[in-house]
Amino acid sequence: MNTRMRLQHSTISRVYPVQLANRYLTSRIIPLIAVAAVALCVALVVIVVSVMSGFLDMLRASGRTLMGDVVISYPIRGIPWYEQLIDTIEKLPEAQAATPLIDTYGLVRMPYPEGSEKEVVTANVWGIEPQSFNRVTDFSKALYWKPPITPEAAAAMLPDDPRLKLSQNILNDGLDLMKSATGEPGLVLGMHVSIANERMRDGSYRPRYQWFMPRQSVTLTLVPISAKGTIAEPRERVFPVVNEFKSGVYQIDKNRVMISLSEAQKLLRMDAGTLYDMQAPPNADGSLPVLGTSPAKVHKVLVRAKPGVTPDQLQAAVFSAYEKFAFDISQDPSKAVKAPRVESMTILTWEQHLRDLIAPVEKEREMMRILFSIVYLVCAGLVLSIFWAIVQEKTRDVGILRSVGSSRLGILWIFLQYGLVIGAIGGLFGVGLGWLVIHYINFIHETIGQDAPAWSYMASFCIALVSLAMCVRGAMTGVLLSTLLWLVLGITLAIVGAGLMLHRGTLIWDPSVYYFATIPDQVDWFTAISTWFGAVIFSVLGASIPAAKAADIHPVRALRYE
Amino acid sequence: MSKFLLEAKNLRKTYTLGRVKVPVLRGASFTLAQGEWVAILGSSGSGKSTLLHLLGLLDECDADSGGVWFDGNPVADLKFSARNSYRNQSVGFVFQFYHLLPELSVLENALLPNMVNAGMGWASKRAQAQQHATELLDAFGLSHRLTHKPAELSGGERQRVAIARALANQPRVLLADEPTGNLDTKTGGEILDLIAAKHRKGLSIAMVTHDPAVAARADRVVKLVDGCVAG
Ligand SMILES: Nc1ncnc2c1ncn2[C@@H]1O[C@H](COP(=O)(O)OP(=O)(O)OP(=O)(O)O)[C@@H](O)[C@H]1O
Ligand SMILES: [Mg+2]
Repeated sequence: MNTRMRLQHSTISRVYPVQLANRYLTSRIIPLIAVAAVALCVALVVIVVSVMSGFLDMLRASGRTLMGDVVISYPIRGIPWYEQLIDTIEKLPEAQAATPLIDTYGLVRMPYPEGSEKEVVTANVWGIEPQSFNRVTDFSKALYWKPPITPEAAAAMLPDDPRLKLSQNILNDGLDLMKSATGEPGLVLGMHVSIANERMRDGSYRPRYQWFMPRQSVTLTLVPISAKGTIAEPRERVFPVVNEFKSGVYQIDKNRVMISLSEAQKLLRMDAGTLYDMQAPPNADGSLPVLGTSPAKVHKVLVRAKPGVTPDQLQAAVFSAYEKFAFDISQDPSKAVKAPRVESMTILTWEQHLRDLIAPVEKEREMMRILFSIVYLVCAGLVLSIFWAIVQEKTRDVGILRSVGSSRLGILWIFLQYGLVIGAIGGLFGVGLGWLVIHYINFIHETIGQDAPAWSYMASFCIALVSLAMCVRGAMTGVLLSTLLWLVLGITLAIVGAGLMLHRGTLIWDPSVYYFATIPDQVDWFTAISTWFGAVIFSVLGASIPAAKAADIHPVRALRYE
Repeated sequence: MSKFLLEAKNLRKTYTLGRVKVPVLRGASFTLAQGEWVAILGSSGSGKSTLLHLLGLLDECDADSGGVWFDGNPVADLKFSARNSYRNQSVGFVFQFYHLLPELSVLENALLPNMVNAGMGWASKRAQAQQHATELLDAFGLSHRLTHKPAELSGGERQRVAIARALANQPRVLLADEPTGNLDTKTGGEILDLIAAKHRKGLSIAMVTHDPAVAARADRVVKLVDGCVAG
């Protein structure tokens, strides 16, 4: 009865290689070390590649939402008759919308500090036509100051978030680039232009002191450039700030301000005017004869593709649309000012436009990939050496198995399987660990960015003391291994404690270097899964050499082996 | 059809240690009839184990010359897989130092040849194999030890598990290399009693020993002297 009961509980339900691999795995510590090592390798890959890929994705996404899909530019002088160009482009089946853009540099005098010496910053000034600009880019999404749309969004905000108290007006003012209360043209600042905006842990912002920008005014100075290419008298104008925007790209949020297209054109003297004939003799009333109208101009036209149209397809279509437009203008006798020829235009997709930004990151990711192949090799080498040791230790077992008739394939399978399990489990843990780190990466980063709290090093000093006490006790009872382990633990903790005590907050992810204010925190699942497979394959590869060695063992030699 | 179950003719085996050649077997011949128990006596280093290993195909490199026949067929012709099943089915091996797998329980150790042989069809054969192994271990007085690990057993108990393992696939020949060499006289005697009981049921046995008292229990005794078997 007793016997039968025990039999049912016994685990003889599988083929022996599975069973032995299982026993070898569960009865010792070395496999755990192998699992941990594989897990660390995999986690490393998952974390680094996820951050890099997230970074590239963010770069791409923001590039696209900020620029549309294709950009036509003719800097400094500007594109004349751009309304007609936009009409031509919007008739293209590939194009969803197009918008004109003034892109220049200027000075912004900030309202702070108190007193007469105000801070002045240089800025990249965009003159936009808000309605069409919003159709081409995601301008309304980028505007930061707006009340939460849904109750859920409101619940997700911290209770002191100023956005909770805002009205819809502030968003509308931003979208119209106009202060509705007074009817003045307004200005939208990039989120990081003003140093008064403090970023919280959850990514929200708090204005410091009274410097809530949408209640302030700034003075913008622009420098017009004459038709001859010389600098004309700078013009300045006070704008009420109506909102702030956040693209997520730090460089942009730090430098860009937006005003309405017409204001920008006026300040730069790029608005429409009458074109006089300077050479001809004056009219009877003393005025110069009129040649025609000098059209308003813009530096760029941004185009958004219809869904399903790639930027490259759109680029080709826009190119021929511009050719047609330039030809039409040249044939139009009523237009004295002609459009520049297509050869002198720059027509780029957003990706080409942001090449300088994206290319280095892509290169970095390539380099990471190469480094990762080394990580895989480390993984395989590690599994190899651990298994080598195990096979060495299990030579006699292999001899026994061979002597009862197991085949070489059977022996091979024991160890391959062993590698398979270690790779699979280690990989799984690694992906889990990678996920954890990536998920909390901004939190971890900010924690590292601060001085270590006193309790952390006090705690590690205390545990270090306890370990040293245990070490002394071990020495008195004469157990060498535990003495040594406690000593190592004690010293390690003491060093960690000292490190924590000396640690001064350093931010590794400097937003001014990495463009984005937050670290990407999404796991790249394609990489995670392929890395897991890689870990399994390389663990099995690593296991295969010792496994082959085991399979080659002669039964007698193994049994004589003492 | 040979009249012997197991026969070795004119075996020569020389080990090479560096540049020195050590001739161990120099034309040894040996026969074991069906149902016979033969003891192989010889001084230490005379090549008894070497002979037994050649009989059991435990040495991947065969003898330098001469051959072994099982049931009238030359084993030298056997392919890899046939060699494996020869070790698994036709003979059972018992070693002086038990050689159990430390990670497996007593029952699992006794079932090892079944498991090795089973391959993918193990599930179907399992119940029967388990029945047989439990009966054997029961008869060896180990029924209360089935789930124990070898490290928890005494030497005599371990050797009984090793014998149960050797008999798992009901081989026709038991090849025992000093099965009692590591045990005291009383325990050794009990082990021999178990073997003798199996012998009475028709098991053929070749047993190496250097203890004349052990050899006395066999049907026939041969001596290995100077690499040759003397009758
Ligand atoms: N793999 C080997 N390589 C070299 N020499 C070996 C090898 N195996 C056995 N020998 C030598 O062959 C000789 C016979 O060994 P064997 O083990 O057959 O003797 P034995 O009669 O069983 O001795 P014992 O009674 O001590 O077990 C010994 O001198 C041994 O050193
Ligand atoms: Mg021997």
